[in-house]
Amino acid sequence: MTEDRPIPRCKAGIGLRSQHATEIAAARPKLGFLEVHAENYMAETVALDRLLELRRDYEVSLHGVALSLGSAEQLDRSHLGRFKTLIDRIEPVLVSEHLAWSAIGGAFLNDLLPFPYNEESLDLFCRHVEEAQEALGRQLLIENPSSYLRYRHSSMPEVEFLTEVVRQTGCGVLCDVNNIYVSAKNFGFDPIAYLDTLPVEAIGEIHLAGHHAAKDVDILIDDHGSRVAKPVWDLHAAALRRFGPVPTLIEWDTNLPALEILLDEARHAQELADVYRYVDTA
Amino acid sequence: MRKSSPMSTDMSTLLELQMQLRRAVLGGDAAEIVAAIHGDGLDPAARVGIYRNHAFATLGASLQDTFPVICRLVDKRFFAYVAHEYLREHPPHSRCLVEYGADFANFLADFEPSKALPYLADVARFEWALNIAASMRDTAPLPPRALAEVPANEAAYVAFRLQPSLIYLTSPWPIDAIWQANQENEVSAVDLASGGARLEIRRADDGVAWRRLDAATFAFRTALADGLVLAAAMAGATLQDPAFDVTAAVQHLFAEGLVVAYCLSSER
Repeated sequence: MTEDRPIPRCKAGIGLRSQHATEIAAARPKLGFLEVHAENYMAETVALDRLLELRRDYEVSLHGVALSLGSAEQLDRSHLGRFKTLIDRIEPVLVSEHLAWSAIGGAFLNDLLPFPYNEESLDLFCRHVEEAQEALGRQLLIENPSSYLRYRHSSMPEVEFLTEVVRQTGCGVLCDVNNIYVSAKNFGFDPIAYLDTLPVEAIGEIHLAGHHAAKDVDILIDDHGSRVAKPVWDLHAAALRRFGPVPTLIEWDTNLPALEILLDEARHAQELADVYRYVDTA
Repeated sequence: MRKSSPMSTDMSTLLELQMQLRRAVLGGDAAEIVAAIHGDGLDPAARVGIYRNHAFATLGASLQDTFPVICRLVDKRFFAYVAHEYLREHPPHSRCLVEYGADFANFLADFEPSKALPYLADVARFEWALNIAASMRDTAPLPPRALAEVPANEAAYVAFRLQPSLIYLTSPWPIDAIWQANQENEVSAVDLASGGARLEIRRADDGVAWRRLDAATFAFRTALADGLVLAAAMAGATLQDPAFDVTAAVQHLFAEGLVVAYCLSSER
């Protein structure tokens, strides 16, 4: 299955948070890449200067969190323009966005909100992905969201929807293994079956992160606020077996730990990938 | 081109659904969106609540990061309440969260429950300015000798471009002293009757610095920052202080590294 393409060496990276930037600049730890939220660097600021400085020594991946590709309105052309300007400055190794929406009617809600999966939304989402790829001048990876509700209007499962988006637009997939685990627990589907449905050749990156159990209800919440949980590492192993060692990111956005802990998680991801590099994926 | 899908007839369209979820996430009526989602073993309203909690938590945290002293002045619980009301009425327009909160000070100024703290809005303006100034990069300043190149007969009509991080702020309250007092664990008393402050805020070293200016210097620099020519800025400063020394004032501007470019009116 993977004979036609060279198996890429896994490169494990971490999400760059401003609190760690100075330490990383000083210590230059060995990392496959750094990933940043694109929206934090769209102005001519000191933060952008620091990122450009780090870019000399690291590959950088741009992770968009606000393009709102699932919005039932026009894409925000000015935001797309700012994204393109940033891409031209950074020359990122990967650019990704989400299977979600976050803005409507002029209000940005700062969350990756779900929409129903049906013919209407598929048509709209594919149009927006095509428009974004055209404007940004490159392929986008689309990330599967963590999910806490399902609409009565949905007529197909999320993974089928995402696979169809890949087929129609030529985008890639950012496979968030923690999100699959969280959603599978929340809705009682089989996470392995989800992985098995994703198109192998489209997987461009994997995300790993922590989650927690909600207090009063039987729901897992994806919060990027702790170490990757054991069952998520197990699911990640299954993903590596199927996809090969794709670039893998440790995300940590709340309750930020010492940099050393992030590096430790990234090391573990790299070790796992090194093991699965020698496993027959056919 | 794709053909557009026909409108759903028996169910809400995507746009309607998104407007319904927006309303619910911003703390408004959730009945319509609740009717559109599966319970899956849970009260559907609780599912919507997860998204609402996330939006309020993250946007509230963003405001708290930007306005830590306001949070301290009114205490955490009241701040959460103010932030909640602000988010409902003024959700972010920009997709870049660092740009959220520009009109928070204006909102505070009109916020009835905190009217007892009349300085609150100005302290918020000060915190916003500190954030903006800290994020702006410095530009290489012009050396003082650059002034010598200005022909004497054109000097009155020269306009300066100042460091992009410079912000001028004035308040009838001692907002800088209030801010400073709230950096310590034990807040020391601030004499509110001690008068107002005219502040110059700029990026410095790896952070931000500010200082108080006298009335004439404040008028002079504010006018220059607004793009007025030297003669006009001087006129404003002289109204504040008839003894204002414009030569010394210009020298100080250069010596402090605040001027990054100038242009002559003949070039405009």
